[in-house]
Amino acid sequence: MRKIVKTRVLAGLVAGSVAVIGLAVPMSAHAATGAKLSVLHAVPDTPVDVYVNGALTLDNFMPGDLAGPLDLAAGTYSVAITAADAADASKPVIGPIDLPLADGGNYTAVAHLKEDGTPTATLYTNDVQTTAAGEGRLTVRHTAAAPAVDVLAGGTPVISGLTNPGEKVLNLPAGTISAAVAAAGTTTPVVGPTDVTVAEGTNTIVYAWGSLSANNLKLAVQTIDGLHGNPSGIPSGTAGLAGDRDDSGSLIAGGTAVALLLAAGVVLLMRRRSRANA
Amino acid sequence: MKSQHVRQRLLLLVAAFGFSTLALAGCAGSDPVPLGTPMPPVALTSPTPAPTSTSAPGASAGGSSAGASVPPVPIKRSDPGSQVAPIVVPPTHLTIDAVGIDMAVLPMGVDSAGQMQLPEDSAQAGWYRFGPAPADTSGTTVIAAHVDSLEFGLGQFVRLRDIVAGETVVVASADGAQRTYTVSQITRTPKTDVAIDEIFDRSGAPRLVLVTCGGVFNRDTGHYLDNVIVTATPVA
Repeated sequence: MRKIVKTRVLAGLVAGSVAVIGLAVPMSAHAATGAKLSVLHAVPDTPVDVYVNGALTLDNFMPGDLAGPLDLAAGTYSVAITAADAADASKPVIGPIDLPLADGGNYTAVAHLKEDGTPTATLYTNDVQTTAAGEGRLTVRHTAAAPAVDVLAGGTPVISGLTNPGEKVLNLPAGTISAAVAAAGTTTPVVGPTDVTVAEGTNTIVYAWGSLSANNLKLAVQTIDGLHGNPSGIPSGTAGLAGDRDDSGSLIAGGTAVALLLAAGVVLLMRRRSRANA
Repeated sequence: MKSQHVRQRLLLLVAAFGFSTLALAGCAGSDPVPLGTPMPPVALTSPTPAPTSTSAPGASAGGSSAGASVPPVPIKRSDPGSQVAPIVVPPTHLTIDAVGIDMAVLPMGVDSAGQMQLPEDSAQAGWYRFGPAPADTSGTTVIAAHVDSLEFGLGQFVRLRDIVAGETVVVASADGAQRTYTVSQITRTPKTDVAIDEIFDRSGAPRLVLVTCGGVFNRDTGHYLDNVIVTATPVA
């Protein structure tokens, strides 16, 4: 069994590198594969304009709005965030700031409050690695004017002491969790509980944003799908009743209680062995 | 009008995005080693003068990044209440008259070993619920069943090896829809050689893949050495 698994992983790796090469050649002939950028507006109460390299890109961008993903060539982009009625990018309220976007990277730039309540922007790199089959990824980001928090799932802390602008990434079985945010060391929610779906093959990114003192803490959700990993196999027979004749033809021919008992013994042994391994 | 336009653009972007990350997923395989270690968040607190921020609105003169023109941007709400989960209609029944297969189909996930989970009862088939469904416009709907089990004996899927190309497969879904497929390929492959990424393929034309075990039964492991794989394509 272990050998088989190892071989399979190796085969996967080889196939993977072939695919990488196959993909890279045509791409590099033209341009880089590029970067993906999303932008989240997480400053309460303030519509803004967003300028990228001096060009108005997001007009009257509202708090809680999520823009993108944009496909951009790798490089450094200058972003300035102004009041929504600004005529140009010359008087930004945040920035101008440089966003260095690497080839193949997936990013979210977040305009948000610092712990002390002043506006800032943070560039996060999103984890778009393949998830295990049956699992999803939950990313939690603290972008709120609030001290350290714990994140509760079903009332139990799963992330402790997260501070602005920190993040934490968890890989979880796909499903829905009842998520809440509490001051670090406590279990009384300051946000939530809110049902958050952790979909299979998807990075679900949850932002805590707003201000504790202004009593407007909220959650924002961004999802990045298409990260699915495949099951490692399909174990679809355990009794040996349908085996080819060269090995277990007698089982088919006989189909007797004796044969069944034999098979049962094999399986029981097998189960015990796999339990011992587990 | 405008919102429709934006939505179209969003769809395109989403489609392009899905494609590229799929390609990435395929490359990564089941490799536990991170290929691109995520970077810690970068606090953008040190403003640098933007060489391109000019007084002319909308000007995007050649700046720090070559050809850095920015396409129009799709925008959506981020509050948890506005997140829309895709509606998935699971297949519920499988019929192959030619070989006498007539089985209930249950949605199944992944077992603790990372393999596709199957109904214990070899009289029932399992659909891989994290992959495409019959109504999806691309990829494989994977339905598998135990060829036998100690408790329930031989399953109907033992007859998969009797199927020949051209025979008809009917899949019923939970919304009452019935889809007809024609068998295009039957393969028996040693499990070690099974192209698992081809079975669980989310791209390409929509198709149905039926899988069970076959070949020599290995008494030491309690497993068959081969997978029997039947591929069928939708009848237009």
